Amino acid sequence: MKRFALLASIAVVVVGLAVLATFAPRPAGAARPYEGETIRAVVNAEYVKYSLSLVEKDVYDKLGIKIETEVIPADAFVAKTLLEFNSGSSPWDLVMFGPSNMPDYGRHFEPLEPWIAKLKLDFGVDDIVPVFAKVMLRYQGKLVSMPYDGDIHIMYWNKVAFERADNKKKFKAKYAYDLQPPKTWKQWDDAAEFFHGWGWDGSDRKLFGAGASYKPSGSGYSYHWWRSRFFSYGGQYFDKDMKPLINTAAAVRALDEMVRTMPYYPPGVLLFESEEPKTLLVKGDIPLLYTWTSAGKRVGNPAESVIVGKAGFGLVPGAEIDGKVVHRPAITPGRGMAVSKYSKKKEATMKVLEFISLPDQSLKIVMDAKTIMDPWRVSHLRSPIFRKAFPDADKYLDAIEASFPYLVPDPVIPAADEYQRKLSFEITEALAKRKSAKDALDIAAKEWDKITERRGLEKQRAAWGEKLAEMKSLGIEYHPDWAAKAK
Amino acid sequence: MAIAIERPRIAARRVKRYRVHRALGHVLTYLGLFAALVFFLGPFFWIVTTSLKGNEDFFAFPPVWIPAEPSLAHYVALFTRSSGARYFTNSLVISSLSMVAALVVSLPTAYSIARWRFGGGFLSTLLLVLRMLPAIALIIPIYIMYKMLGLTNSYLGLVIIYTVLYIPFAVWLLVGFLRDFPVEIEEAAMIDGCSRLRALVQVVVPIIAPGMAVVALFAFIATWNEFLFAIVLTGIETKTMMVLVTSFTTGGTDMFYGEASASVVLGVLPAFAVAFMLQRYLVKGLALGGTKG
Amino acid sequence: MRIGAIVMKRKQWEPFAFASPSVFLIGLVIVFPLAYSFYLSFQNFDLSVGSEYNYVGGKNYVEALFKDERFLGSIWNTAMIIAPSLAVELLLGLGIALLLSRASRGRPVITALLAIPAMVSPVMAAMAWRMMFGIKFGAINNLGRQLGILDVYFDWFGSPLLAIMTVVLVDVWHNTPFMMLVLLAGIQSIPQELYDAAKADGATPWRSFWSITLPLLQFTMVVGVMIRLIDLTKLFGLIFILTYGGPGSSTETVAFNTYLVGFKDFRMSYAAALSYVIVGGVLVLTLVFLWIQRIRETRTAA
Repeated sequence: MKRFALLASIAVVVVGLAVLATFAPRPAGAARPYEGETIRAVVNAEYVKYSLSLVEKDVYDKLGIKIETEVIPADAFVAKTLLEFNSGSSPWDLVMFGPSNMPDYGRHFEPLEPWIAKLKLDFGVDDIVPVFAKVMLRYQGKLVSMPYDGDIHIMYWNKVAFERADNKKKFKAKYAYDLQPPKTWKQWDDAAEFFHGWGWDGSDRKLFGAGASYKPSGSGYSYHWWRSRFFSYGGQYFDKDMKPLINTAAAVRALDEMVRTMPYYPPGVLLFESEEPKTLLVKGDIPLLYTWTSAGKRVGNPAESVIVGKAGFGLVPGAEIDGKVVHRPAITPGRGMAVSKYSKKKEATMKVLEFISLPDQSLKIVMDAKTIMDPWRVSHLRSPIFRKAFPDADKYLDAIEASFPYLVPDPVIPAADEYQRKLSFEITEALAKRKSAKDALDIAAKEWDKITERRGLEKQRAAWGEKLAEMKSLGIEYHPDWAAKAK
Repeated sequence: MAIAIERPRIAARRVKRYRVHRALGHVLTYLGLFAALVFFLGPFFWIVTTSLKGNEDFFAFPPVWIPAEPSLAHYVALFTRSSGARYFTNSLVISSLSMVAALVVSLPTAYSIARWRFGGGFLSTLLLVLRMLPAIALIIPIYIMYKMLGLTNSYLGLVIIYTVLYIPFAVWLLVGFLRDFPVEIEEAAMIDGCSRLRALVQVVVPIIAPGMAVVALFAFIATWNEFLFAIVLTGIETKTMMVLVTSFTTGGTDMFYGEASASVVLGVLPAFAVAFMLQRYLVKGLALGGTKG
Repeated sequence: MRIGAIVMKRKQWEPFAFASPSVFLIGLVIVFPLAYSFYLSFQNFDLSVGSEYNYVGGKNYVEALFKDERFLGSIWNTAMIIAPSLAVELLLGLGIALLLSRASRGRPVITALLAIPAMVSPVMAAMAWRMMFGIKFGAINNLGRQLGILDVYFDWFGSPLLAIMTVVLVDVWHNTPFMMLVLLAGIQSIPQELYDAAKADGATPWRSFWSITLPLLQFTMVVGVMIRLIDLTKLFGLIFILTYGGPGSSTETVAFNTYLVGFKDFRMSYAAALSYVIVGGVLVLTLVFLWIQRIRETRTAA
């Protein structure tokens, strides 16, 4: 009996302790539920890795997860990641990708919705800027990724150049209209010509007319600079039967103008990637540049910029059609983040993806001048901290928002990257004056046909059909007559 | 008489002129060499000073040739945030392993050629052809094969390919060293009951060790420098310094100029070391070692 | 000696056993992949489409040699880079080697210092020069402006021709030291008595250079040039970092073009065919090289 009492009391104590242990709050464990887990991320540039390092500590403090980031340079990124995925595996859990390549990447990503239900995740999808939500989130209707970098083009100008009385007088005398930040391509080219080769800031330096990035690498820079002109002249990628329209009158006119104005751009522009012209802008060497929105943060960074508070932000120029200016700024690849379907740590990775996408965490990333990541949430654009982060930051954020209604996406169909690369390459051939604009674009069109043929005409036509309808709903259509009448 | 006096004077003048000529020749020679040194070492100077500059000095004009306050901040950033330490270690480990493996595999082959003329002219021609073979021809099938075998992103896969790429060079150089080695010593050892392999390891190796060191160092630097296989076959665990450098080029080097230059400095360090250690063998080594992409 | 011979006879398998590790590895990692790649070059294996493929005969080769203007252009580019590189490397290398051979003091140290660029990886060389050429913050432009001879914005890649010349400049920097070392070794192997005899006959240094140094250096020069020629056909890392083939395709080399086809477009079979075209070219060059060496051997024997 005694023995039984002893055993019973021990049992009670043990069970009691066990119950207590289960229900008692775990002081350390709760704060870091995934303590000890390490996930792998893959990104395409050192500055993206840097951007993740801004939130790494918080991720660890909150979740206990460490992030190991691999950088594959942009020039090899799509090739290496897709080769890995296409062979049915991947060493990475968290994957950065260019959303324009979604048709090639999407099937390797884990759909988010089941996990949202299971883990009660909140990605704040309603807070995502609608244009980004449209192109960055879904594959075949399923939510598979979150934006990480909201890339569009806006125009920057150096107010010193445009507001000096002397410059205004000279410009008016030469072009017979008032000097102002350009609204049309004609005005842009005039301004570039006007400003090139002399000290428009009042110094005796030899400065340049405008900036651009024409290197044919990565996901094809030169093509982004061409397509804003091309689309405002009424262009379109393909017709409904997948016949390329990139060698039509609009295309040739756009490229011819770029070739003609090459002398007004800085030396080296043919091999400029994204950052070189931005450096020239913030150092006061070029008065005009249209490029990704990240340039605004460099403009506002006093550590390197000499034009803090002296820069204007606005819409990329367009073409005047029947008295109305049509703007077609580019929405360029940007960056999305997704969870690999082949990951063995999906739960932890989902948690990390949620965490870095949270409004306050992602704000940290998109506000930092060195990350080159751009705002993609409505709350980023409206954030009182961001709007006061540097002089005129509010005007910069407003200019981004003002561009949203006009954006033209990439040809988001399978092989998007290859289409862009082949076209970019031929564009630089024309810019380097190795071929005429017409010849270069004709060859590009032939290359596009080859890609379509390799991927299967029917499959491509079906994919393109959807995009065509989407673009039509945005008001973007092929207008063969615009090329001749655009001003 | 007058003539007799005149002659030594002319001779003296000649000697003097000769001396002037020679001195002038010396000056010109060293001037020329100095110009060559400036050209060939200038880029290193710029990279090293750049890596020690502060961010504000990169774009300064007049340029900052020597930073007033050199700082190691970019190296620290490279080693911590950019995983430089890991990739530097990878480069060291892969290069060292390939170096050892190349020696172990090549020595018996070289011995076989040196002692028995194994393979005759065919084998040496084959080795030459392998030395000349463009790596781009190998990378595609190797990539596909490695993918199937799961050898991508592994030390083993990289070490295997580097070892094999280095066999022609190592064999070639080792055959030379072995031919210079007196056969008698070896045979004496074998008469004492040594097997051939033991004779090779215990008698020959210690004596030709300096030569083997030369081969090893060249193998090391060639592996260190290799880029094409490295960029295609490596992943996060196995990335080398050569691949790390390329991650700073995306979008242009403007944003991480300091880290980029610091990574170049670390990437060329072994070249400096080896150039000084191997002075006497540079010609042979460079002519025969060919993993330049 | 006799015992040795007997041992050798009894163990005829030994030579093969000793050589087998290398032979096995070469077969596995070089010969087999090359054969596999040769087989692939007659298929239409395209990883962007899928992992299945069919036999297409010589279609890839026909496309490469007759239709692919970009590839044919890259052959031309490679040649355009090779020719001036070889000429400058040879002349500059010879000049520096002669200077070195006359330097009485500090020669080993100077030689080692000058040799460093040749020991550096092409990637590192290109990265260093990319920073040297930089617009606005590159060393050369800034120095040029400080001295008042160069625009700080001089564009080193401004036109296709200039871009090729710039690549040549970097290659000259990178590989002249090799040529210099080869020629220095050649010069030093010329017996001093020849010069002494020529001097006794009243020959000027200039004359003895033309009638002694150059003729005796002839083969060394040819060998050096051939090795560089073959290595230059593989130019890849330098281009990858320095120009990525641009502007346009003006500096796209054969190796770089093949890399793009294989690892950007994923057309594995076609890339294999391209690489076989390159191998064919290199093989011809290698045979020429062997032939030259044979001539040299027979001459020195005579």
